[in-house]
Amino acid sequence: MAIRNLLFEHREVAGIEEMDVYEKLGGYEGLRRAVTLERQAVIDDVKTSGLRGRGGAGFPTWIKWNGIPKNTDKPHYLICNADEGEPGTYKDRELMLKTPHLLVEGMAIAGYACLGTAGYIYIRGEYVEPAWQIRKAIDQAYKKGYLGKNIMGIEGFNYDLYVHMGAGSYECGEESALMSSLMGERGNPRLKAPHAPLPVHEGVWKSPTLVNNVETYCAAAWILKNGGAEYAKLGTERSKGTKIISVSGHIAKPANYEVEMGTPLLDLLKAAGGVTGGKLKAVIPGGSSVPIMTADKLDKINLDYESCAASGTMLGSGGFMVFNDTTDIVLLMKRTSEFYMHESCGKCTPCREGTRWLFKILDRITSGGGREGDIELLLDICSQIDGRSYCGLGDAAAWPIVGAIKAFREEFEYWIEHKRSPIGDHAVPPTPVVVNPLLTLTPA
Amino acid sequence: MPDNRLTQTEASLNPAVTQMVNIKIDGIELQVPKGENIIESAKRAGVDIPYFCYHPRLSKGDAANCRMCLVDVFAPRRAPDGTVSLAKMPKPQASCTLPADEGMVIVTDSEAVVRDRKGVLEFLLINHPLDCPICDRGGECPLQNNAIFYGAATSRYTEEKRHFPKAYPLAENVVFDRERCIHCARCTRFTEDISGDAQLGFLKRGADMEVGTFEHTAYKSKFSGNVIELCPVGALLSRSYRFKARPWDLHSQRSVCSKCSNGCNIKIDYRLDSLQRINGRINEAVNEEWTCDKGKFGHSYVSSEARLKTPMLKTGGEWKAIDWTEALQILVGKLRDANGSVAGIGGQRCTNEDNFAFQKLFREVLKSNDIDSRVEGYLGSVNKPLYERFGYHAMGNAIAELEDMKTILVLGSQLVDEQPIIYLRVRKAYRFKGATVINAVSSVPEDSPKVGDFAQLELVYKPGTEAALLKGILSVLSAEKLASVNGFAKGYTLEKAAEETGVSAEAIQQAARLMATGKLAIIAGREVANHANHLEVVQAIGDLAEATGNAQNINLPGEDVNSQGAADMGVLPDFAPGYAPLENPGKNTAQILQAAADGSLKVLWVAGAKLLEKFPNRELAQAAFASDTFIVVNELTMTETAQAADLVLPAASFAEKEGTFTNCERRVQRIHKAFDISLEIKPDWLIFSEVATRMGGGGGSFFSARDILKAISAQVPAYAGLTAKSLGDEGVRWNYPDK
Ligand SMILES: Cc1cc2nc3c(=O)[nH]c(=O)nc-3n(C[C@H](O)[C@H](O)[C@H](O)COP(=O)(O)O)c2cc1C
Ligand code: SF4
Ligand code: SF4
Ligand code: SF4
Ligand code: FES
Repeated sequence: MAIRNLLFEHREVAGIEEMDVYEKLGGYEGLRRAVTLERQAVIDDVKTSGLRGRGGAGFPTWIKWNGIPKNTDKPHYLICNADEGEPGTYKDRELMLKTPHLLVEGMAIAGYACLGTAGYIYIRGEYVEPAWQIRKAIDQAYKKGYLGKNIMGIEGFNYDLYVHMGAGSYECGEESALMSSLMGERGNPRLKAPHAPLPVHEGVWKSPTLVNNVETYCAAAWILKNGGAEYAKLGTERSKGTKIISVSGHIAKPANYEVEMGTPLLDLLKAAGGVTGGKLKAVIPGGSSVPIMTADKLDKINLDYESCAASGTMLGSGGFMVFNDTTDIVLLMKRTSEFYMHESCGKCTPCREGTRWLFKILDRITSGGGREGDIELLLDICSQIDGRSYCGLGDAAAWPIVGAIKAFREEFEYWIEHKRSPIGDHAVPPTPVVVNPLLTLTPA
Repeated sequence: MPDNRLTQTEASLNPAVTQMVNIKIDGIELQVPKGENIIESAKRAGVDIPYFCYHPRLSKGDAANCRMCLVDVFAPRRAPDGTVSLAKMPKPQASCTLPADEGMVIVTDSEAVVRDRKGVLEFLLINHPLDCPICDRGGECPLQNNAIFYGAATSRYTEEKRHFPKAYPLAENVVFDRERCIHCARCTRFTEDISGDAQLGFLKRGADMEVGTFEHTAYKSKFSGNVIELCPVGALLSRSYRFKARPWDLHSQRSVCSKCSNGCNIKIDYRLDSLQRINGRINEAVNEEWTCDKGKFGHSYVSSEARLKTPMLKTGGEWKAIDWTEALQILVGKLRDANGSVAGIGGQRCTNEDNFAFQKLFREVLKSNDIDSRVEGYLGSVNKPLYERFGYHAMGNAIAELEDMKTILVLGSQLVDEQPIIYLRVRKAYRFKGATVINAVSSVPEDSPKVGDFAQLELVYKPGTEAALLKGILSVLSAEKLASVNGFAKGYTLEKAAEETGVSAEAIQQAARLMATGKLAIIAGREVANHANHLEVVQAIGDLAEATGNAQNINLPGEDVNSQGAADMGVLPDFAPGYAPLENPGKNTAQILQAAADGSLKVLWVAGAKLLEKFPNRELAQAAFASDTFIVVNELTMTETAQAADLVLPAASFAEKEGTFTNCERRVQRIHKAFDISLEIKPDWLIFSEVATRMGGGGGSFFSARDILKAISAQVPAYAGLTAKSLGDEGVRWNYPDK
């Protein structure tokens, strides 16, 4: 188990973002195969594949697809979550930038299976270049008849695809806030089950709505082309297929790596060239929201949902951050909490007030004002946020701090007692050399 | 106008009850409607769940934000083998939005819940200024109360608090203390769900989030006062009440707003003899719990310096204060000398008791039928427009019934100004019940809120062409065979209507199609009431209602607080109380003024009517006042009309007397005396009664307002059986005997 390029199979192929190159390499075969099947058979194939949502939560994709009602007269909307806001995660960016047709194809397949009326790709506002690529791919797909009216000659298979740019908020990646934002409202999350119907019943504009991550749709395209069973051959018992991991931090070759589910964490570390600038101190495997893992625990962790969970962390979005021993964990947490404070939408009390309080305490500690009892206070505040907030952002703000205190409590104590960093003169890490430069583009 | 229904706060109150489910709250088993919010079920069970953002009249979409109402929930889970077991939901749930479901078990007294509540309150207070000693809300503040009952005794917060300048001028009547805001979104939801102007929203995010208007423009609303009461802290404050009193120093009296015919139930909060503020009082049938700004902020006159405190006599163009003995002596002398050449105008702003005594004095003591309560609009027989054809006079519907309409046509009305509470019901029908609203009006004002903001269709017609518009609609109904039109549209075509009204033919067609099926209510406003050919327009309204099967759904509400009651009490030239026709009808307002102007009227008594200000033919009114007629006016302050009179008698405001008003939907509601401004101020009925007594009684003398109510219920069939007790706090809507 290690690097397995399924979605990335053609990422280095020059011109793969163009329709002709993509088609030559088997592009849109997934869609071609899908439309020969009954809609339910497409969903069943996704079920066979064992694909789980790649946006972070790992929810079985087929259940969502299957949940879209089959007999409403309402329009059905499909949303691609391309907001990719989780710090440390940049996989969707590369997928859209290099293989935009893979996403368009995946969304067309989902549109077929779920009787979609229209699809919206909600792209993070900063992702200007990926959005150009996607728009270009959409244009080409319309010309080829993969989108639009009576797609591929199938009477009544009408499906439009749009790009919607976000306006710069992490919270808008949370699926219900994304729906608010897409409808032109403030990017606040919405009520969820059991308080309100599921999005597959009432999502945007009170119509059935499917929300999936970029990587999820791309994987669906691969699955329909190669068959669900083929995908299910990879991975572990409950985590199938591959996952793209965005590796960053003190690492020799920061880049996106597509690994088979269940790959030992240390294997990926090795494949990415190993830690640089010092000894390995810790890894955050799934984006800034998940608990940090000390170096000594890493050999027990495999990159799949269950193994990460068993070790007390999460695979999350695959934002894999590597830290060497020059890292001051307390400063890291101060920066992390600053992020969540800044990104809190403000709707609910625990997150709105709690995230700022957390930051203020960490800021005070790292300014030499730490006091006895601060650690307990931090833990207490986290417990008052975790599970009490309106949406997952509050939880995501609490987990890393709890995780960091659990793993590196002595560093917090050191800061509080000595009013300075336990790391000595804190070294700012050098900017990593980018080994895999992304495309530079002009508008399509 | 497109369907611009806003979606931020999903418009769903509790769903209609279709099924009952069994749930358990803190060990108490009960049956509740499926889907009811658990916080409401808990109330049924007598279990207190603290809350801030929850409000039963605001939609759920933006609620569940304060997290104060978190509870532990166990839900039944069916195992594959069919056995059902209870499983605890991993996270505590907001009970204010959690729908009740079969078998749910709720725990509100676990250690975890106690801790959650402490946690939320600690968070809410870290940035709260805690300036309770100088906060208007102090003493009646949900945040204080919840902190006392559920909060921790101390805070662990030692960092700097968030600061804002105090008293941000949000609206004409509302100032905003941003530091105190707990971001519950009640005010923002109010503007979106209820008033419909959607002006308040949140700016910025996270802990910097603040309530504001788009681009910090002024919050201009006709219902802004409600957000003061909705705000669970002292963040939104009344400009006029700010720093005026502490809640525990206030006395509160139940009353009814005196500003318009909708009759909002209110509380008068006062200190000694001065009115401090008006708050809404719940009456589900009328105002639910809202008031308009006119009502909430428009009562400062009651305790103002301008109030008349003694009778005033004009001699040689100069005003002189005199005492009541002298005033009554002069007045009675004039009335005796007049020998029947007396007339009375007014009563629409007086109580039923005042009106009853007014007409008793005129008819039975002064022997004159020249009495009329109407100042504007149609002055012919009140039976003509609707009663003779449909059996009712003003409103066919109760206000609350408007919610059940499929379509509502608002015709010739700036509804939000004329009938604010009816406006809110129409808006509720639209937002929460899915009604379609059509607005037909001759001019569209710029500012919101207004019916046009949410009307599916807006027909802007040339002033005065209402009848043509209605006939055009009828002709479409007939041409498209949508209704049996009975020849009502005879001689009319769509094209002709379009040309006369200036409304496009398509719009008229669309309107007709929208009105063709389902319950349709027609609400006509000032443009219809004051129309030169009032009868013709009402005729056309009647035709449309009849053709579509909605003969009982026509509404021509009056505008003054007791327009309806004054007519009920027979302050009309041609009807005794209860619309009993008179053999010798007297003069109506225009004829009375003409008589005065001609010099053929000796005494004119004006009971609180703003004749010079409002009577459409101002020249005639001026001529009447300039004549030799002795004019006596009952008033609160020296209005223009009072200034032009010969004798002005200081009358009590609604806050200083007992009695009843009948609102536009015929609901008879009690008002209660809150305080006396001066013992020299008398309620109108007492003034009439004292004059009657001095002139020999003859049925015009009464001891108290209750005494008069007894006489009313004895004489007026529709008011039969109404007593102070039976009216209760919510009033009673009287009905025509055959309905
Ligand atoms: C605060 C927050 C931020 C999120 N941001 C993203 C994001 O940027 N991209 C994403 O795909 N999912 C994000 N999610 C997860 C989505 O809510 C949702 O689970 C996902 O889009 C579902 O797609 P999937 O089933 O394909 O994973 C976020 C969740 C939370 C709570
Ligand atoms: S947890 Fe609350 S404040 Fe934070 S982003 Fe979600 S809804 Fe907004
Ligand atoms: S101003 Fe008052 S009502 Fe409005 S959000 Fe703040 S606390 Fe709530
Ligand atoms: S709607 Fe009428 S009755 Fe109600 S508060 Fe306003 S003026 Fe008073
Ligand atoms: S009352 Fe339920 S969250 Fe505010």
